Amino acid sequence: MLDSLDLSTTPGADPAIEVRDLYKSYGAVRAVDGLSFSVPTGEIFGMLGPNGAGKSTTVEILIGLRQRDGGEVRVLGRDPKRHPTAIKRRIGVQLQITALYPRLTVQETVKLFASFFPKTLPVAKTIARVGLEEKAGDRVDRLSGGQAQRLSVALAMINDGDIIFLDEPTTGLDPQARRSLWDVILELKEAGKTVFLTTHYMDEAERLCDRVAVVDHGQIIAMGSPAKLIRDNFHEQALEFNQPALGNHVDLQTLPGVIRMQREGEITTLYTDQAPRTIAALMEASANANLPVSDMTVRQATLEDVFLKLTGRRIRE
Amino acid sequence: MKAFIQLVIANIKELLRDRMSMFWFIAFPIFFILLFGAIFSGSEDTTSFAVGVVQQDNGPIAKGLEAALTSAPVVKLHIGAQDAELAALRKGSRDLVIILPAGLSSAVRNRHRVKIPVYYDGTKQMSSQVGIPLVEQVLNQVEAQATGHPLLLEARPQAVQAVTLKEIDYLLPGILAMALMQLGLFSALRLVSLRERKILKRLGATPLPRGLLIISEVTVRLLLAMMQALLIVIIGRLVFGVTIVSSWYLVAAWVLLGACTFVSLGYMLVSFARTMESGQGIIQLVQFPMMFLAGTFFPISFIPGFLQPLVKAMPLTYLADALRQVITGNPPLFSIGADLGILLAWLAGSLFLGIRFFRWE
Ligand SMILES: Nc1ncnc2c1ncn2[C@@H]1O[C@H](COP(=O)(O)OP(=O)(O)O)[C@@H](O)[C@H]1O
Ligand SMILES: [Mg+2]
Repeated sequence: MLDSLDLSTTPGADPAIEVRDLYKSYGAVRAVDGLSFSVPTGEIFGMLGPNGAGKSTTVEILIGLRQRDGGEVRVLGRDPKRHPTAIKRRIGVQLQITALYPRLTVQETVKLFASFFPKTLPVAKTIARVGLEEKAGDRVDRLSGGQAQRLSVALAMINDGDIIFLDEPTTGLDPQARRSLWDVILELKEAGKTVFLTTHYMDEAERLCDRVAVVDHGQIIAMGSPAKLIRDNFHEQALEFNQPALGNHVDLQTLPGVIRMQREGEITTLYTDQAPRTIAALMEASANANLPVSDMTVRQATLEDVFLKLTGRRIRE
Repeated sequence: MKAFIQLVIANIKELLRDRMSMFWFIAFPIFFILLFGAIFSGSEDTTSFAVGVVQQDNGPIAKGLEAALTSAPVVKLHIGAQDAELAALRKGSRDLVIILPAGLSSAVRNRHRVKIPVYYDGTKQMSSQVGIPLVEQVLNQVEAQATGHPLLLEARPQAVQAVTLKEIDYLLPGILAMALMQLGLFSALRLVSLRERKILKRLGATPLPRGLLIISEVTVRLLLAMMQALLIVIIGRLVFGVTIVSSWYLVAAWVLLGACTFVSLGYMLVSFARTMESGQGIIQLVQFPMMFLAGTFFPISFIPGFLQPLVKAMPLTYLADALRQVITGNPPLFSIGADLGILLAWLAGSLFLGIRFFRWE
């Protein structure tokens, strides 16, 4: 069965996760509607999509918490339907809803979860890795949102699993708390872990993920590295500058790379698929005409633009 | 094993840090025992027990009996003529009248059996249940001394303990049974709450076997049940002087069986509930009638006939009956074997249904 799965991954190494034609419905709701992807070992893989896209359902199927309706799933080479316990021993999980015993302390909670696994990292060290040393003796119900989330990540790390699943780890956190969690996640990658992350933050996916699957209504609508996704969908970059008079001296549309031009008040925007050459030509024209340009920016399309282009909607309504 | 111990520790810590639950855990039995103990123990005064003695012998053993009765702790002795004493009994100013017939002392010394008439008021429960055994006790003691039986025989004063029945002796085991029922039934709600708070789901994402979680939950509840039972028995002893007629082990075994039965029943009941509220509702619905119909506060013979089938079906009826037998030695309503059988049946039935139907999500 496994041999028949050919999902074009990094050749050589066995992929950490393989999913083909995954389906899951809740009554009439098709939560996951034919997902196929593969995550090579050591990659941070992101599922990016709006609420209700089917991210949590996918995670819960992969970690053996839910039964799929159809399709093939392999996690660390095994089917979570048939070997849930074996897989759970070797993965770390953070569910979207942080649900812990409220009256236990941080340390007690980590210790409790450590007792569920045959082999674990030291409790104190794990707490330190998510930066909660000073809160180790505090009760869970007295933690801030960011601290609770970090505790939840610590629990996902405690068994030193090969794959760490993080379901919207930074949702609802302030920017600083998000950034410190990003650092923890990047350290996981450095430690050689595979990270499966869901998010509905574009910047998070762009910053953390080696590859992203953009999902909507339970289907993947685009997949690849963030840079590739943007490149594939937006050949142009937007070159903006302030020098209204320059257009009277040079036909800007004929500069190399320029596809379209737009003027809004003082600001001229050149859409180009060869930004460096366009910029060089623009600088030359500006020098020749003795009309210096100011406020020049080159704007990159973002994953937000990708989502907008593919679905006609913004990812966060 | 490591996981089991940690789960038990975590569970106990959670409980100890929950002030409200701890308060009720301790206050509930104290409250019930003190309240009902106070209400019912006022009805018959046991402190002074009026005993009339008609001395017709005046021999050494008869005198010894008289002296022993005088020094008996709850007895207030009156010595008089037979007619006067029996008249006093009829008027209610004596609880018992004992006739020490002429020739008693010499008969005892010659090892002849002597019948000692003891008159009592048949309408007064206390007289027959407490007074007569008390007199028998005194007689045995004096006889033992007089006839020089070895100390071995003297050292088994069972009679007084076994049958000193007061209202509290009826109430205390019933209250204990009720406390076990409530603790047991409501213990399953914690699992529903863990489910509702998604903690169960989080635990499901670890390799922890579900069975181990349940076993740890139940273990903690059984520990609590034992502690609460101990608390009740100790209060009963300190405040009302209730002593255990059988052994502590036997009582502990019944407490454990009762707790197991009601914990299982609780799990079975909540397996039909989707939320905390509905679970609570179902449990209340079951525990409320049991609380009043199982003979906790008054004997089940007071309950009208059409309710008797219900009374006879409820596990609490049997647990209370068994506890009354092993703690205070109340006369059995059912044989101890019947109590055991029916509780075990409830335990097995609810265990089966609970395991079958509990929803994890
Ligand atoms: N237990 C459930 N019962 C019914 N519908 C559900 C359940 N869980 C999720 N859904 C539905 O399935 C869809 C996908 O949900 P989810 O996987 O949680 O998406 P995401 O994590 O991307 O927000 C949503 O429409 C959601 O309402
Ligand atoms: Mg989700």
